[in-house]
Amino acid sequence: MSLIQTENLAKVYGTGDTAVTALSQVNLKVDAGEFVAVMGPSGCGKSTLMHLLGGLDRPTQGRVMIDGHDLGDLPDQALTALRRRKIGFIFQFFNLIPVLNATENAALPLLLDGRPKAEAHRQAQAWLAKVGLGDRQHHRPDQLSGGQQQRVAIARALVAEPALVLCDEPTGNLDSRSSDEIAGVLRQAANEWGRAVVMVTHDPRIAAYADRIVFLKDGLVTDETVLDPQKSGNSALIETRMKAMA
Amino acid sequence: MSTYLTLALRYLNGRKLRTSLTTLAIVFGVLLIFGMNTVMPAFIGAFQANALAMAGQVDATITSKSGEAFPESVAETVAAVAGVRVVSGTLERGIGLPADFFDQDPATADRLTAVTLVGAVPDTIRSIASFNVLQGRFLEAGDGAVAVITESLADEAGLQLGDTLSLPTPIGLTDLTIVGLLPQRLLPGNEEVLVTLSEAQRLFNVPGQINVVDANFDTANEAARAQIEADIAAAVGGSFTIGVLQPGAEILTNIGTAQRIFTLLGALGLLMGGFIIFNTFRTIVAERRHDIGMLRAIGASRGTITGLILIEGLIQGVVGTAAGLVLGYGMGWLALAAVSQIGRQLLNIQVGAPVVTPGLVVLSVTVGVGVTLLAGLLPARAASRVTPLEALRPSIGALAWRRIAGLSFWAGVVLLAGAAAALVTGNAGLLALGSFLFIGGLILIAPALVNPIAGLFSRVLALAFARDGTAQLAEGNLSRQPTRAAVTSATTMIALAILVMAAGLITSLAITFTEMLENSLSSDYLLVPPTVAVWGVNTGASPTLAEDLRAVDGVDVVSSLRFAGTQINDVAVGLLGIEPQAYTQTSGLAFVEGDPETAFREIESGRGLIINGVLQASAGVKMGDDVTLLTPTGTVTYKVVGIASDYLNAKTTTGYLSQANIAADFGRAEDVFYQINLKPGADRAAVEAAFKQALQPYPQFKLVSGQEYVDQNRGIFDAAFAGIYAMVIFLAIPSLIAMINTLAIGVIERTREIGMLRAVGAARSQVQTVILAEALILAAIGTAFGLLTGLYLGYMATSAFAALGFPVTYAFPGQAMVVAVAVGLLFGAFAAIIPARQAARLDIIQALRYE
Repeated sequence: MSLIQTENLAKVYGTGDTAVTALSQVNLKVDAGEFVAVMGPSGCGKSTLMHLLGGLDRPTQGRVMIDGHDLGDLPDQALTALRRRKIGFIFQFFNLIPVLNATENAALPLLLDGRPKAEAHRQAQAWLAKVGLGDRQHHRPDQLSGGQQQRVAIARALVAEPALVLCDEPTGNLDSRSSDEIAGVLRQAANEWGRAVVMVTHDPRIAAYADRIVFLKDGLVTDETVLDPQKSGNSALIETRMKAMA
Repeated sequence: MSTYLTLALRYLNGRKLRTSLTTLAIVFGVLLIFGMNTVMPAFIGAFQANALAMAGQVDATITSKSGEAFPESVAETVAAVAGVRVVSGTLERGIGLPADFFDQDPATADRLTAVTLVGAVPDTIRSIASFNVLQGRFLEAGDGAVAVITESLADEAGLQLGDTLSLPTPIGLTDLTIVGLLPQRLLPGNEEVLVTLSEAQRLFNVPGQINVVDANFDTANEAARAQIEADIAAAVGGSFTIGVLQPGAEILTNIGTAQRIFTLLGALGLLMGGFIIFNTFRTIVAERRHDIGMLRAIGASRGTITGLILIEGLIQGVVGTAAGLVLGYGMGWLALAAVSQIGRQLLNIQVGAPVVTPGLVVLSVTVGVGVTLLAGLLPARAASRVTPLEALRPSIGALAWRRIAGLSFWAGVVLLAGAAAALVTGNAGLLALGSFLFIGGLILIAPALVNPIAGLFSRVLALAFARDGTAQLAEGNLSRQPTRAAVTSATTMIALAILVMAAGLITSLAITFTEMLENSLSSDYLLVPPTVAVWGVNTGASPTLAEDLRAVDGVDVVSSLRFAGTQINDVAVGLLGIEPQAYTQTSGLAFVEGDPETAFREIESGRGLIINGVLQASAGVKMGDDVTLLTPTGTVTYKVVGIASDYLNAKTTTGYLSQANIAADFGRAEDVFYQINLKPGADRAAVEAAFKQALQPYPQFKLVSGQEYVDQNRGIFDAAFAGIYAMVIFLAIPSLIAMINTLAIGVIERTREIGMLRAVGAARSQVQTVILAEALILAAIGTAFGLLTGLYLGYMATSAFAALGFPVTYAFPGQAMVVAVAVGLLFGAFAAIIPARQAARLDIIQALRYE
């Protein structure tokens, strides 16, 4: 069984005449150590898929299985605990707590889980070092660049050793150099640290870092492409597919 | 836990100004409740210390419940009771000293404002207490104008053994030769001047009378002593009490009332503080939606979020309460320091430090911290309902138009109905409750009223800001979030309500008091004793003074007051003997019930009594009732023939009767206060000179002209009113901050929208205008509600005064209403400055990207 598995996943917003189908019949599998990019035009259901995978929203139909747990069966408290231990989130706008420094931000999931502060800070610092912020541990978010803030967010997403990392447009707010660096770290999270990484992005260049691209259109999976990271020209290939969909 | 604490502290620290100003609201409420409640026990403590000192070391002290003198034979009755070993009957009276009596120096504060003259039979008093004579001798039977005093009194008066001590007495200034000195007085209470009983009876013009019987028992067995006390009580009858009755006991009732009023003010302050905290926490939750959503996304439970917000509340509550306690103690201390002089002069008590009881601390802390937590609870719960998705999507300026006539609207209507009902009952307790119901009800129905009022005001504003449509935009912003608009305007509402209430109450009180003042003190001259209104401690003058005054050429009428203490239904009452004919010419009573002419006729023709409102309320007596008054010899029944008051005695439980009756039933013929009218065309200079001559033996009286006295009293009023207005301003500042806060949330939530406005070509000034217009509309709503609430509360407060027995005519505070409207709108404009600049300065690109 795969780490993430969805079965006939569907999400409908509203009812009757105003009903909008955001997602339908999505069957997706992601394994540990796999880096999957989700692409598609605006309104195709990318974000909805992310929310459902992360247990932030509940499906209208179908189910989401993470590491053997059916999210639909879990009450709010258990879902919260699952998010804390099994899932790491990375957002487009970093979403760091402005009054906490890098270490404190990165340590939050462990502290929320009731771990001792010293241990939480030690692990947070270890992860900050791994994402290349060993020298910025005591800086507050407003003292860091966008790329650096997103690295803190990545350290925060990884600190609890989650099985799955969900990224919603992680480079949407960054310049191209920082974007490449962030994509590189995510690649590393899958390859070296064995996480399943699912990333929503618009950018073919960033998507090219993934192992596999899932294309969504009007809430349906229209295509899946496995990439060979060794080959060049992946981003051109993705761009061609995108245009074909439009 | 420490993580949450860290987070809370950092967040609070990040907004120092807001944190400190919201905390100020809590500080203020706790300060009032705690401070005022430390003052009251200090007063009671001082009274009790005095009573204990008076009781001295004897086993039992027997006095008349009325506080008046009684025949010497009572001492024999007590002595006859089985188990009583020795008995001493004394005549003891406080003598209030005029200012600068001993030192003749107005620059230094007087340390002695009163002494107690004790008339005793030398042998019997030595059998009951020991007197260690340091110099000279003790009193001896047959002594005349001689006294034994303490060394401390001698030092204070600058006297030595053999010197003459002059004291004001009813028969004029009296000289006593000091024949003995006792050790300095260590107990609280007045210094004592010991004279023989017969000398004291001569000085106070009460031959054969005593007012205190001290007794010692022949057993130390508790049960036996209780039996002896019971036997004494049975032997002397119901008009006596075992223990000491204090002069000025009626003032204690007033202190209690004042304390309740301040506690109510404190509760209002806290209510407002709680509301401001509530408002601030709403801001906090709005500002941090994304932070909270993120925390939820990465696994913080709802409980964790609620806890986080509440910890911030707890910190503010604890800090605010602690500061309130400290400042409250300081305020209590200052208040006591300010009144200690008055306390000594008026009541002959030595007021100590503020009294802090564990119970009061627990109450203040519970209320202070409790209100903060309660205020934080709703926003904290709202925060916990923020979904993790909030972190992921940009905020979509809440498009849901709230349904208005919901449950809370009807709940508000019910509360308002309750408040109206409370007004009808005229019961003080219910009226206080009604004020809370009214504010609560108005807050609940406010959201439903926001749309119509906002619509109305935006039309007015549209005229002012013509063309560019900013007023409509502002109105739209408000009506899509009526609840928030209501909350914001409610802060203005409360501040203005308090202003209008205070103004209404003060205007009403001022008018009522001024009327009474001019009515009762408008005579040409007054002879004022050292303490006014607490007559019992004054040493008056025998009727000869009045005769001397009447004899002065140019004098038309001399009216005097004679005082006696009594009890009606266990309430301590001051009785004032008047001569209706002369009294009505020089002074007057303001009647609430009864016809003045009939009433004055009835007090002269029979045992008729006019009582004031305070007495009516506290003794539960009605017009036409027969009431039983304790006299030195037993009881006597009077009929209540009128409810009325004069200015000086409006605040104390007082009854008015004829001087003939006060002499017959209470044995009093001593005048304590005079009012004099001159004949038209009299030579004032000559009259004043003659008065001074007549007053020479009576330094306890001060001659003042009526006009001067009225002006003096007005001055006291003005000072008191200024103090109340200062408190109102104190309350208004935090509510201004609350308004700035809420306007700021509006800007934060609409950042993207403002960016869009700027992008499509709105000038900075136009963006500012939108925010300003919004603030003005909010302020207008708040002002409208505030005026309404203030009028209700003011009316409520005056009714509460009436319910407490002090009828006040309600005066509509027209001038204050105009001021309130101006202040309210200025408030709005002022509160808009910071958020408007913030909005105008937004970088367009940043604002559009703002999530």
